[in-house]
Amino acid sequence: MLMCKDLAGIASDYIDGELSTGQNLSVKFHLMMCGDCRTFIGNLRMSTKLMQAHSGSVPNEEFIREIDRRVHEALEQKKSRTTDSD
Amino acid sequence: MDTSQATGSEEELIEKLKEQDPASYHLAVRTYSPGMLAVARFYLDPSTAEEVVQDCWVTVIDAINKFEGRSGLKTWLHRIVSNRCKNKLRSAKREVSTDFQEQLDPDLADRFNASGRWQTPPKLRFEETAESLLENGALSDCLDKHLSKLPETQRSALMLYEAHQHKSEDVCNILDVKPSNLRVLLHRARQKIFLMVEHFQETGEC
Repeated sequence: MLMCKDLAGIASDYIDGELSTGQNLSVKFHLMMCGDCRTFIGNLRMSTKLMQAHSGSVPNEEFIREIDRRVHEALEQKKSRTTDSD
Repeated sequence: MDTSQATGSEEELIEKLKEQDPASYHLAVRTYSPGMLAVARFYLDPSTAEEVVQDCWVTVIDAINKFEGRSGLKTWLHRIVSNRCKNKLRSAKREVSTDFQEQLDPDLADRFNASGRWQTPPKLRFEETAESLLENGALSDCLDKHLSKLPETQRSALMLYEAHQHKSEDVCNILDVKPSNLRVLLHRARQKIFLMVEHFQETGEC
């Protein structure tokens, strides 16, 4: 029989639909009887949504500016090489 | 096989990049660098990872002409970074070490009794939506803080899969991990985030 600890170990696979049909049924059966695991699955699911919503976090501005500078420099060099060879 | 194809507005951006349009590079650098850095951080220490991403952008200026759109631009860029990192590791004769053994985070495992039932069950149910939870700036900052404390391998897997919405297949390819190992990395990282949010919701502290 699937225990709460076993379920916690495969909870992400359940959320992402990666379990076999048999395992999936065992989890669903357990969840019907166990309020604590229902709360756990709900909260773990929320944690994944939180990460998805967090994707807009601001990147390190200094790092981005440095790339911009190097790309700009490389583009300029390439342009002047093309002009020279014309 | 690639699971994401170049989309309409992306195709326009790619054309502009091929024309070496500076404004388009500026846009692309801002859009794609965070994900590229997440890939590099999987393999390398923070400062070398930043250097690799910078170098990759310079090579993109020439390499973009060979880009045929069989994958999405994001996947293509992430693969360039991944290949460069793997070469760097190979030349330094180093390997990424990762623990794929344990499914459960030790802090979560401690909350079950010997018979495998909850001893300290989750008390609160997170009722709000993710977006409304994140409106609390303190939670958002706390999330950043805990993300930065995750092992690099877990963080990269989580960022690519959740935040950058790559398919499992692409993440495995880019990070060079087996599907079963990716599952472990993702689950371990999610548990950390779960524990952090729970603590924050209960105490108001990070």
